Amino acid sequence: MRVILADDAVLFREGTARILMEAGFDVTGQARTAAELLDLVRRDPPQAAIIDIRMPPGHSAEGVEAAAEIRRTFPDVGLLLLSQHVETHYAMRLMTEFHGGVGYLLKDRVSDLATFASDVRRVANGDCVIDPELVARLVDKKRERDPLAALTERERRVLALMAQGRSNSALSAELCLSAKTVEAHVRSIFTKLNLAPDAGDHRRVLAVLAFLRS
Amino acid sequence: MFVVGGFSLGVYLPNLHNGLIAATFTAVGVFVLSRRPGNREGWLFIATGVAHAVMFFGRQYGLSATAAGGVDALPGAVWVMWVGVWPLALVLVLSGVTLMCFPDGRLPSPRWRVVVVTMVVAGALLALMSALWPVEYAENSLSLPHPLRVGGYDTAQRLWNVIGPSCYALFQAAWVTGVVVRMRRAQGDEARQLRWFAYAVAMGAVAMAVSVLVFGSPVLGVLVVPTVALAAGVAIAKYRLYDIDPVINKTLVLGTMAALVTAGYITVVVVVGRVVGLSATQHPVLSVVATAIVAVAFEPARRRVQAWADHLVYGRRPTPYEALARLSTQLSRGSQHADLFTGLATTVADGVGAAEVTLWVGPEDKLVAVASWPPPPEQGSPTTTAPRELSSLEDGGRTYVRPIVHQGSIRGAVTLTRAPGDALTASEDRLLHDLVAQAGLIIDNVGLGVELQQRLHQITVQAAELQAAAKRIVAAQYEARRRIEGDLHDGAQQRLVTLALSLQAVAERAASTGDDELAARVDEARHQLSRALAELRELARGIHPAILTQEGLDAALGFLAERSPIPVQVDVCLQQRLAQDVEATAYFVVSEALTNAAKHSRASRIVITGRFGDGRLSIEVTDNGRGGADSHWGHGLQGLVDRLATLNGRLTVHSPAGGGTRLQVDIPCG
Repeated sequence: MRVILADDAVLFREGTARILMEAGFDVTGQARTAAELLDLVRRDPPQAAIIDIRMPPGHSAEGVEAAAEIRRTFPDVGLLLLSQHVETHYAMRLMTEFHGGVGYLLKDRVSDLATFASDVRRVANGDCVIDPELVARLVDKKRERDPLAALTERERRVLALMAQGRSNSALSAELCLSAKTVEAHVRSIFTKLNLAPDAGDHRRVLAVLAFLRS
Repeated sequence: MFVVGGFSLGVYLPNLHNGLIAATFTAVGVFVLSRRPGNREGWLFIATGVAHAVMFFGRQYGLSATAAGGVDALPGAVWVMWVGVWPLALVLVLSGVTLMCFPDGRLPSPRWRVVVVTMVVAGALLALMSALWPVEYAENSLSLPHPLRVGGYDTAQRLWNVIGPSCYALFQAAWVTGVVVRMRRAQGDEARQLRWFAYAVAMGAVAMAVSVLVFGSPVLGVLVVPTVALAAGVAIAKYRLYDIDPVINKTLVLGTMAALVTAGYITVVVVVGRVVGLSATQHPVLSVVATAIVAVAFEPARRRVQAWADHLVYGRRPTPYEALARLSTQLSRGSQHADLFTGLATTVADGVGAAEVTLWVGPEDKLVAVASWPPPPEQGSPTTTAPRELSSLEDGGRTYVRPIVHQGSIRGAVTLTRAPGDALTASEDRLLHDLVAQAGLIIDNVGLGVELQQRLHQITVQAAELQAAAKRIVAAQYEARRRIEGDLHDGAQQRLVTLALSLQAVAERAASTGDDELAARVDEARHQLSRALAELRELARGIHPAILTQEGLDAALGFLAERSPIPVQVDVCLQQRLAQDVEATAYFVVSEALTNAAKHSRASRIVITGRFGDGRLSIEVTDNGRGGADSHWGHGLQGLVDRLATLNGRLTVHSPAGGGTRLQVDIPCG
């Protein structure tokens, strides 16, 4: 799988490129800035772009802007955004604006190669990936009248994975459950939380996130 | 010219007043206009004067023709005479309007226009009648015939007999009413102008009465006529305007005393003499007794008359107590020092009665005039004169100089000028002394006030500088926090993430070589590193949340709410980015509020509302906890209050025991 890396920290970029190559990825380009990234993508569109959110010159949200530009020009390129911290604000924005094929992870996640490699592939395949820390934060959040209290322990676990963007098949693999059982859990969660069931994965993530945030 | 020509034709008593009026009114009008160009009353005077001049000349011509032997003695005598007679009604109207409009050339009020129009119409009607028929010839003992021979003379004369005199009387009544109305309303300078005029008219009337009664001829009275015009001119030009009151006062006293003495003497000598049956010539004792009685009664009577005259002229003069009370009211009102000084001068003038009062401030050898009464005609500072010495302030007997002494040193002086021969009475002198004693206090107070104002100004400037400095410091602090967060992000955090990547490589190497112990230790190290990274993230957020810089206050408050252990409902709608220090201060205040709520409030619910409007950011954090937060708002809050203060922001905490806590932040964003 062909990927492009964009990060202004050279050590991190090189390290990430190395482990991705070890995991069988073809790193076709490395960029230091958003402009360089766009240039590389235009010249040779990859299957996925791994982008640091904070890059020169402004060190604010250049990565997100660049990702949006790539989505406009090359809608098939999967976009995985990395950051030193994950915020609901960005997660919601990425889910609503990008309609799938997008991920949002803490930079630390690269050190868990197996999971990271799978996340890159899922994004390239059009799935959504949300950092587990962010989801955990939302799921753990106390609520005035906590609707999550109605969920069973197993259902909470399913919800957290759903919110990360996992599909039902991924859930059944992760939880060692049959596809039918997973479907039953998901239906139950949607009913208990009053969420409209939806076929698209990213819509599912969006609905879950919106609910968790409220 | 008409007047000179007229007089060259001889002096005729029935026409003398016209000539005098013509000459004096014209002259006074010219005088007034030279002093006050554009003065409307000046023009009215001239108009009146010229109209009279025309009449005067016409009548003089006719009279001299009559004296010379009849109609043919002078060429065109009939017609010239006619010109001198028929405009009389209109001229009377003009004179009336002139008097009504005294002293400013305007009618007492717009409603008087109706009266004037009526007068003009009536005057025109009468003049027309007089022009057509010799209706006025008879009563003016004019021997020349009327030049026109129009029919219906008898009817006209009968009609004239009815309306003529009554109209003339109404004209008189109209202007007298106008003047009286104006006198009742007038205040200040205008009242004095009118008093001049009324005084002259009254004196003229007295002179006329004396002239007719004593000398059996109006000549003296007629000769006094010009003085009315002169007094009016003086009044309009405001020349020595302030001398009028003492003059009237003295006249009243002298006149009344003269009348009283005469009456007393006559009463004693004639009435008593008649009763006793003796005449003064027969019995000198009576004269002596009368003189003695008058002499004894004189002083008490004079005092009474003086008091009555004072009351009449000055109105109700304030008593010494009232004058002092008025002064202290002015003092306690704490008005501008210029007002205080003017107030003092006015109080002295009103209380003691003066033509002129000046207040000087300064040490003995450098006195500066700071206020005067009457107020200077031009607006502006009266303190442009050079400093003077105390001893140089005396100028002749009319000026009283009273140094203002306070706490043993001279702080200034009051000079008071009275009309000639109007010396201060003992009680006036006492009041002057008391007022001057207060003046010392005022000058000191004003001095103190000025010093205080200067201090206050200094303090204001310093405070502004301090606040600006504090604002810079706080801004620099935020900047430093942002930089630290940026450094952490690009430095330590980046390095640690890279380190995690290296550990990943080591772990893979260990797995590939089958070194399970190494793999386990590397895994442990990765966990440690992961925790360190998480802690570092929290640290960086606490120093300065990146989301605040990147996304603004809306997003950052949502971020805070998300991390709060107590459920938070966020209702923030700012829709724009604000100044960095405003956003940061608001953010940290809310952060501190949430932390405190979590620690102390035992609340189950928190609501954050935030709005931006009218250039102000207002944020409210409300919880449903146990309240009584004042005690545990500690050091952190004080720091925030200080930061808020640099932005002119305000923080209020309302936290009754058991009633939840409401914290409000209000920051102007200019």
